[in-house]
Amino acid sequence: MQTLDSYATLESYLAVSPEEKSGVFSKLLAQLRTLLSQRCWAQAALMVQQAFTPTSDFTAFQSLYRIYSKLKPHIGLPQRPRLAILGGCTTTQIAQAIELALFSQGGGVEVFETEYGVYRQEILDPGSELYRFQPTIVLLATTWRDLIHRPSVELGREEITALVDAELAGWSALWRTVHDRSGCLVVQNTFDRPAWRQMDNHEMRHPASLWRFVSRVNDALADRAPPYVVLHDVDSLAALAGRRAWGDERFFFHAKMPCAPEFIVDYGFSVASLLAAQLGLSKKCLVLDLDNTCWGGVIGDDGLGGIRLGQGDGEGEAFVAFQQYAKALKQRGILLAVCSKNEEHIAKEVFEKHTEMVLRLDDISCFMANWTDKAANLREIARRLNIGLNSLVMVDDNPAERALVRQLAPEVAVPELPDDPAGYIQAIEAHHYFQTLSLAQEDLQRAEYYRANAQREQALSGSADVGEYLQSLAMVARIGPVTAMSLERTAQLINKSNQFNLTTKRRSAAEVSAIAADPQWLTRTVSLSDRFGDNGLISVLLAKVEGDALVIDTWLMSCRVLKRGVEILLNNNLCRWAIDRGLQRICGEYVATPKNDLVREHYAGLGYVQIYGDVADRTQWEMSLSANWRPQPVFIEEQPFHE
Amino acid sequence: MSDVRMQAQEVFRQVFDDPEIVLCDEMTADDIPGWDSLTHINLMVATEKRFKIKFATAEISKMKEEGQNVGTFLALIGKKLARTS
Repeated sequence: MQTLDSYATLESYLAVSPEEKSGVFSKLLAQLRTLLSQRCWAQAALMVQQAFTPTSDFTAFQSLYRIYSKLKPHIGLPQRPRLAILGGCTTTQIAQAIELALFSQGGGVEVFETEYGVYRQEILDPGSELYRFQPTIVLLATTWRDLIHRPSVELGREEITALVDAELAGWSALWRTVHDRSGCLVVQNTFDRPAWRQMDNHEMRHPASLWRFVSRVNDALADRAPPYVVLHDVDSLAALAGRRAWGDERFFFHAKMPCAPEFIVDYGFSVASLLAAQLGLSKKCLVLDLDNTCWGGVIGDDGLGGIRLGQGDGEGEAFVAFQQYAKALKQRGILLAVCSKNEEHIAKEVFEKHTEMVLRLDDISCFMANWTDKAANLREIARRLNIGLNSLVMVDDNPAERALVRQLAPEVAVPELPDDPAGYIQAIEAHHYFQTLSLAQEDLQRAEYYRANAQREQALSGSADVGEYLQSLAMVARIGPVTAMSLERTAQLINKSNQFNLTTKRRSAAEVSAIAADPQWLTRTVSLSDRFGDNGLISVLLAKVEGDALVIDTWLMSCRVLKRGVEILLNNNLCRWAIDRGLQRICGEYVATPKNDLVREHYAGLGYVQIYGDVADRTQWEMSLSANWRPQPVFIEEQPFHE
Repeated sequence: MSDVRMQAQEVFRQVFDDPEIVLCDEMTADDIPGWDSLTHINLMVATEKRFKIKFATAEISKMKEEGQNVGTFLALIGKKLARTS
């Protein structure tokens, strides 16, 4: 029970708005303390890993780090590089953020810090603490204040160029010394430009301005650093954060912090991503959901003409931009896969026929469109591509799917996404998932290789136990007849649903209203809510009493709530109603259409017996009702219906 | 208990990882285990965020000086809140 509670709290912590986060965090923290006191180290570790994200605030980060410190002695972390952090600033919080961010990706690190501002002495003295530590990686955590040279305004162009060279020579000497003595990889920060421009608009143009000098030094680092030096682009972190916010200097003046505290977490994730790349923990594959992730709407219901994708519609353009982002990732060697609850041929048709699609079928290394749960599908994708489950990043707009994967396949990275597709790119980018130490030609050909490999794989297998997950959803359903209130939504579903629709009979609101008033007919609607919110009215059933039988005329459901057990719950309700009426059996029919293959085995799954079938287009089913009928188990609580 | 005091108490509880902390005016940094230069920064950051206020550099530095205690800290928060409302 503790496990389910903490997952539920974790999910709400990840999902709530920044204003509400701290309240939910207190609850999460209390549960983490309980887990520690019960010595549930592995579970606590998993929660910390999932809770610490690039958007965690400074205070949450400090609390999570404390929890991490307590459980660290009890968990095994393989492969621990030895990282020495040499700073021109206080490095304690950076070190903690790096360690925790790396831990969130399943890695460990041994950290050594020096006092601030003594990095030169540490590097130059062969007997220093630094060398006794035997670092495998040395991070030079510098800021613009550590520049050895500063331009002064009277200097001419050539003198400035000489100054840039001298600056580079100074740092090169340090890199060479520490590399020669310890064989370590060197990570050198770029220099962040400060939050003001002394020459205002001319700051970018005047040869002796500080900004221009810093830019030229950074360019020189990029062009001339030797292969054992990796640049960590702090100047871009500052720019992305906003220089004014990043450069809030109160905490530098007070405690020599390198940037405003709220950006330490981002800093940590950024450095950790380089270590992750070094350890082979970077992500390799972006797994995309389709409906409402790559386009707006549900292809199975809305059709090729109905989904929102492309120019002329704001949201449609946002989906195009997201696809372009994914395509650019593919071009630099990141694999793309699809994991979607859809009929495969319907999903693929969009890639083949929709003119606004940026992604094409040959961009996708592994295409999984089916109705199996996503945790199982992700395992299959990893298997077919022959990469680790921890190499996958799943992008899915549906919070319930994200929760399922975080719970059943915690190795997969699952970024929290905003509701608005215009925010997808930034939400993914913040994690630095796909970090590399260099970009090689081989990376650019990798996608092709994996795709070919995946095509050789055929077998589908693997399933995860979803019972615990369904229980954790805390689903509540209300079942009742069609009412004046629900008539419009009922008619809309009857006329729109294609996939989970047994007979696909379309009816107007007036016709449905007449049926609802007829005592020979039974009408049922189901509304479902779970801990992520209210799904609204999601299922409709119409049936007619004929003799001793209840004959189902229409049964449909929204695909949003597939595989939750709603159909079982409704069938139980139906049986109970029929038994109370003294009926002997329930009859159902399946009429095949190009889109409803999903429910071909619907009645078989509920225990009905097939009594008629013609060339697979039309099958009829029957369930006998007896006195010893018992409802089938479901994980949904049924609450009384009210209009 | 005033709202400011209650909210500040929640901040102290989270920052110093002690759900039992009860604030009183006479408390100083010496009375709260774990109040060092690092947690002090966290306390400042968390307080700023909770109350949507901003401390001046001097105010950040002087919190741990002689004559300062929880009472003066709460008064400082109150003063800043009055100015913003």
